[in-house]
Amino acid sequence: MKVLKRVLGVALALFVAAVFLFPLLWVVLSSFKTKLELLSVPPKFIFTPTFQNYLNAFNSDFPMQVRNSLIIAVSSTVISIVLGSLTAYGFSRYQIKGSDFLQFWILSLRMLPAIAVVVPFYLVFRALGLLDRHIALILVYCLFNISFAVWVLKGFFDEIPLELEEAAMLDGYTPPQVFFKVALPLARPGLATTAVFCLIQSLNEFLLAVSLTTRVAETAPVGLSKVQTLMGVDWGLLSAASVLFMLPVVIFTILVRNELVRGMSFGRMK
Amino acid sequence: MAQETVVSKIKGPATAVEAAAGLRYVWWRRLLFIPTFSLLVLLAIVPLIFSLGVSLFNYSLGSKAIWVGLGNYINLFTDPQFWMATKVTVQFTVVAVSIEVILGVLLGFVMNQRFTGMGIIRLIVFLPMMLAPFVVGLFWRFMFDQTFGIIDYMLTQIGLPAVPWLIHPFWAQVAVIIVDVWQWTPFVTLLTLAGLGTVPNDLLEAATLDRASNWMKFRHIYWPYLRFPLLLALLFRSIDTLKMFDAPFILTGGGPGNFSTTLSILGYRHQIMFFNVGIAAAISWVVVIIINIVTNVLVRLITPTQVEKVHTGL
Repeated sequence: MKVLKRVLGVALALFVAAVFLFPLLWVVLSSFKTKLELLSVPPKFIFTPTFQNYLNAFNSDFPMQVRNSLIIAVSSTVISIVLGSLTAYGFSRYQIKGSDFLQFWILSLRMLPAIAVVVPFYLVFRALGLLDRHIALILVYCLFNISFAVWVLKGFFDEIPLELEEAAMLDGYTPPQVFFKVALPLARPGLATTAVFCLIQSLNEFLLAVSLTTRVAETAPVGLSKVQTLMGVDWGLLSAASVLFMLPVVIFTILVRNELVRGMSFGRMK
Repeated sequence: MAQETVVSKIKGPATAVEAAAGLRYVWWRRLLFIPTFSLLVLLAIVPLIFSLGVSLFNYSLGSKAIWVGLGNYINLFTDPQFWMATKVTVQFTVVAVSIEVILGVLLGFVMNQRFTGMGIIRLIVFLPMMLAPFVVGLFWRFMFDQTFGIIDYMLTQIGLPAVPWLIHPFWAQVAVIIVDVWQWTPFVTLLTLAGLGTVPNDLLEAATLDRASNWMKFRHIYWPYLRFPLLLALLFRSIDTLKMFDAPFILTGGGPGNFSTTLSILGYRHQIMFFNVGIAAAISWVVVIIINIVTNVLVRLITPTQVEKVHTGL
């Protein structure tokens, strides 16, 4: 009875994993098919793989769009980590007036719908001539990344024993030195985790990107959305591009697998 | 360890670091907070107020803005398209989030078993929520295709009729929900697992010795540790589905016949395609208000003793 239950449990877990894995496997498989094989009925599971779709992806605008995505995501992440770590440390170690209210307000930015800022940002950036420029999306993503970074990093700073900082003070460190030479180095894993989440969130964002970029600064998801509307649907290219775009995210996910809870819950759980 | 409250506790006296900072390092204290808050105010409050202003004008890009007061809102509230989008958004939220929470908890218990290889299985299950919702929508669209899609092929293989996904009003909605469930059930599972990890072992052992029924175990042992993570999951999922854009946008473009047009898609259309900036701003404010209400209700559930108001960026 016990053995049966155990076997059933394992089988169930494997089945669940298969269900979640299948769509991903299917897109990877599709990316190696020719046009004919992609549209064949019944769908083919066994075929001679072709790299043509990947070559096509590399010869399209896709690399440029990925470059845009990376420029925007990395810049926004750097700004957010710098500002976020300062403020997170501040909330963790210093008492300021209305601290709880301010923290709450930052948390509430997690709830802010992107569509609410699309309209004003579109108008402002249009007036400033910043539409379709990297800086526009970099700034807007900071809104979401900073609020995220403050909450998650505060959790990491809270875990650093105060005694270490007090000892450093006794050694004559000034408060800024305590932050830069003691707290920040100790928070390095937290900084890395937070940065990875900021990067992923920025790479994945679509609504703001499609609203604020058109050509020069368009990100990879925006570019992919146009492949399917303007030139008919080249599923081979789309599959290959999707795989290339997801690959770094999958690697990042493996890197931060132990901090997923913290990252996905906005630092509210760990 | 789950933190039991969303509200951080009022801190005791200032830390030694702060005491030492004293008055000589006022600049440092300012550096900690002022740049961040300046930027956030500039990026959140200013745009929201600006958008509130815009929503009071009849303003199309390229023409002069005309003051209409609440005219845009009145137009909106008498527009069947708007009510349709509201209904669709709420439907998606209620159905998708219910399925995700129930399924997510069940999967949490499945994933909570211990055996070799569980780490990899968990990683696979957690992957979908890390992927770009847009890209996820893209490859699901490929799978939902009526002629060469793998899903209809599988359905017909097991003797079921092929389903007109994406082109039939009802099935298009089902498709959007399926994609959301596939991508976000893992999130509920993740938080469930985190909650299960905090259940003390001796409690479970005692329950086994007492031959407690499964329901009793769930109610009295697991639930107290699952309550906070699940309410948190409910909060995040509800809010994210209320703003849903990517999946329906790519799967169906909001169609057929607006049957999968969410409020975000409607707002986007008015803004980017019709240049009706005033209307778009009004729609976005409706989304902000709906989310505000939902957030407040759910946060009250999370912290029943400490009723705190959460604002949506204001």
